[in-house]
Amino acid sequence: MLTSGHRPVRSAAKAPLYRAVTNEVEVFRAAARRGLPVLLKGPTGCGKTRFVEAMAYELGRNLITVAGHEDLTSADLVGRFLLTGGETTWVDGPLTRAVREGAICYLDEIVEARQDTTVVIHPLADHRRELPVDRLGITLKAAPGFQLVISYNPGYQSVLKNIKESTRQRFVAIELDFQPADIEAEVVAHEAGVDVQTARALVKVGDAIRKLQGTPLHEVASTRMLILAGGLVAEGLDLRGSVQSAIVQALSDDPDVVGALGELVDAILPRP
Amino acid sequence: MIASDAGSPDRFRFLATFLAGRPLSVTEAPAGEAAHTDGQFVFVSADRSISEQRREVLVQGALLGAGSLDHRLVRALRGRPKLARRYLALEGRRVLAELATRIPLALVLAPKGERTTLTADQSLEVARGRRKLADPPEWFGVIRPSRLLDAPTVGKGAQPSDKDRRLEFKLTEVPEVHDDGDEEQGEESRILKLFENPLFNSNTLADFFSKLFGVSRSPGDGAAGGEMQVRSIGRGDSVGPNARPLPIPLRFTTGRALGSAVGVGGALYPEWDVHNNRYRPEWCRVIDFPLISPPDLSAAGVQHDELLRRRLTRLGLGPKVIRRRQDGDNLDIDALIDLFVDLHAGYSPPEHVYLERRKLARNLGVLILLDASGSATETDPDGLSVHDHQRRAAATLAVTLEQLGDRVAVYGFRSHGRAAVHLLALKPFAQRFSAGGRARLNQLQPAGYTRLGAGIRHAGEILKAEVGTPNRLLLVLSDGFPYDEGYESRYAEADAHKALEELRTEGIACLCLSIGASTPIDALHRVFGSASHASAPTLADLSPRMDELFLAALKELAAPNRGGLRRTRPRARSG
Repeated sequence: MLTSGHRPVRSAAKAPLYRAVTNEVEVFRAAARRGLPVLLKGPTGCGKTRFVEAMAYELGRNLITVAGHEDLTSADLVGRFLLTGGETTWVDGPLTRAVREGAICYLDEIVEARQDTTVVIHPLADHRRELPVDRLGITLKAAPGFQLVISYNPGYQSVLKNIKESTRQRFVAIELDFQPADIEAEVVAHEAGVDVQTARALVKVGDAIRKLQGTPLHEVASTRMLILAGGLVAEGLDLRGSVQSAIVQALSDDPDVVGALGELVDAILPRP
Repeated sequence: MIASDAGSPDRFRFLATFLAGRPLSVTEAPAGEAAHTDGQFVFVSADRSISEQRREVLVQGALLGAGSLDHRLVRALRGRPKLARRYLALEGRRVLAELATRIPLALVLAPKGERTTLTADQSLEVARGRRKLADPPEWFGVIRPSRLLDAPTVGKGAQPSDKDRRLEFKLTEVPEVHDDGDEEQGEESRILKLFENPLFNSNTLADFFSKLFGVSRSPGDGAAGGEMQVRSIGRGDSVGPNARPLPIPLRFTTGRALGSAVGVGGALYPEWDVHNNRYRPEWCRVIDFPLISPPDLSAAGVQHDELLRRRLTRLGLGPKVIRRRQDGDNLDIDALIDLFVDLHAGYSPPEHVYLERRKLARNLGVLILLDASGSATETDPDGLSVHDHQRRAAATLAVTLEQLGDRVAVYGFRSHGRAAVHLLALKPFAQRFSAGGRARLNQLQPAGYTRLGAGIRHAGEILKAEVGTPNRLLLVLSDGFPYDEGYESRYAEADAHKALEELRTEGIACLCLSIGASTPIDALHRVFGSASHASAPTLADLSPRMDELFLAALKELAAPNRGGLRRTRPRARSG
């Protein structure tokens, strides 16, 4: 978790595909120039992580991702001493590394971490741009290019797990939602490696499920799910079977709901 | 919440909802009737194959979605079956042709032949003319103008209109004989006094009459629990052109004609008949639907009760890991390294190096069941009715529990006879208690009666299905005076009592709070006796011991009795 878990996500070869819907790319670029921290919000699987990856690639910065979880301590973020032989050695945490390197530090699902943990990012997220490492007794100035990005999924957590007001007011907020059908189809086609026709059909299914009113579904079909289904198609499965496995069965365990979703999907997919 | 059945037309409900663009359920029409819709349900022919039913759903859903069945157009078809058929033939072809561009299934099913019209109005125009038209295929079903126009505009997820809200208030209007707040506050009206009898030295009789006169539309059918001659007045069959649908029509039907009643959908529950010492199977139909009237956000304020919050904070029920403890079941690596560093440095700190799990985390799920019936309209000297007290208590409790991280839902319930017990979802578990939800709760107007047992049973089902936490608590806020059509006194009390008992055997804790009501203690005991209960003039009076009440209710379930004791209740699907 400390030393090896946060290598840069960016792979040099392939640029991640992200198509801007409104002005989010310009907002992010402007924030990056100023080093302002960014808060991304949006439903599950709408492309928050992909957006950050794409921006990091575009800006030519390393991206260090940390997934928030309940037991995440501030030591997990900042770093800690470890014992080697008879000595202690200091090991940087992901946040400290990003501060030193001038990378983008992406804290995914930040609200899952306890609120006292997230407070360590406060001095980094305002004009000070510095990280006090109290165990070393030093304060690190953030290297130019360092940027803090956090994401969260509003309405998904309990009230106890919300972002502190004092935290969120330091951020530039960018709201992401599912992309318009043609862009989403392009993304699905690109990511899953299927033809545009199949991708369009998948997006139509996703769109229909998202537009249903008054369903017992907790979550709707995300872009990620559509890509999964597309992946199955690319592996040679038929479209119906792929959608059934990757979307319908994945969305609910209730046989009633699965049956009803199956009917809807069946009507929307092209006839074989 | 409807039992599953692979071949049931319910499987088309998402398809229908998608086509119509609004929540729409699918059910079977009585045998021999052609497919039709009333705007909330698509009725498909009973004895057809799945694929034929699918076609019927497609047409009816598409008609609704395209706006072909808007009241404006349908009104012109009323009482003119021939015109309706011609209109259907044109419109059905038109909407299917339009749909075929979006939905491949429609392309396959759409009948061959050109559509001749482009808009619904044009179709109506042509249908009125003398042009010869081919009959619609049988699977187009029929258009039932009276059904569409009569359909209650309040229902499961229906779009609210101005009419909904206006009529909702209308139903709750307190008749003149009752106190209207200004004069005689807190006293019974003169007419009710006539009924007071020194022999009955309690409010029960007066309460009974206030129920009867307060919101009654007609007298009951007889003694509670008696074999009722259920009114079979056909309110819906002979409406004049100017008739307006009521939001919650009182249509009591016989057991044999349930499918054609308004109360299609929902779930059926048994009721305990204390006189014969048996259950009446499938006796009450309970429908839950979200209350979706647009709220006035300025009314979203909720009283804050600091004491209540502090008390409820103590209710930690799940394990939570605490670091750097003296004792525990796992090592805290950070603390251990620090300890070693300190030891090497020549300092020996206390050895707090363990992770300890203690019961501090919140994993309580609470469903607050609020009595939204008209029985709670009597007021106290401050001009606050029992309903106001209960509503405020529900809001305060829900907000407090949600802030503390518990799963909370708030449902209001009211009934209009056994075929129409309504559970209004004010805050379902899956949603946040937003300002809109709070405002809706604050503006909830009492109406109808109190069929407590059925409400409790359905709330228990919701709790079981949706809460997802190991500790489940049903919090009933009621004046403890169950009353409904054929549901009163000993019969009603025994049924509510029984319903609470059932839930407790199924591992759901029950806590009944009676706030601001003047119901005598012994009556409360008869109704809520099997569960924890408490009464007080205001919520603040109960706050100091709210943690005790919660814990007492939950404690008896600490050792759940699984296995043999579980009784399967007869439940039936709708239709």
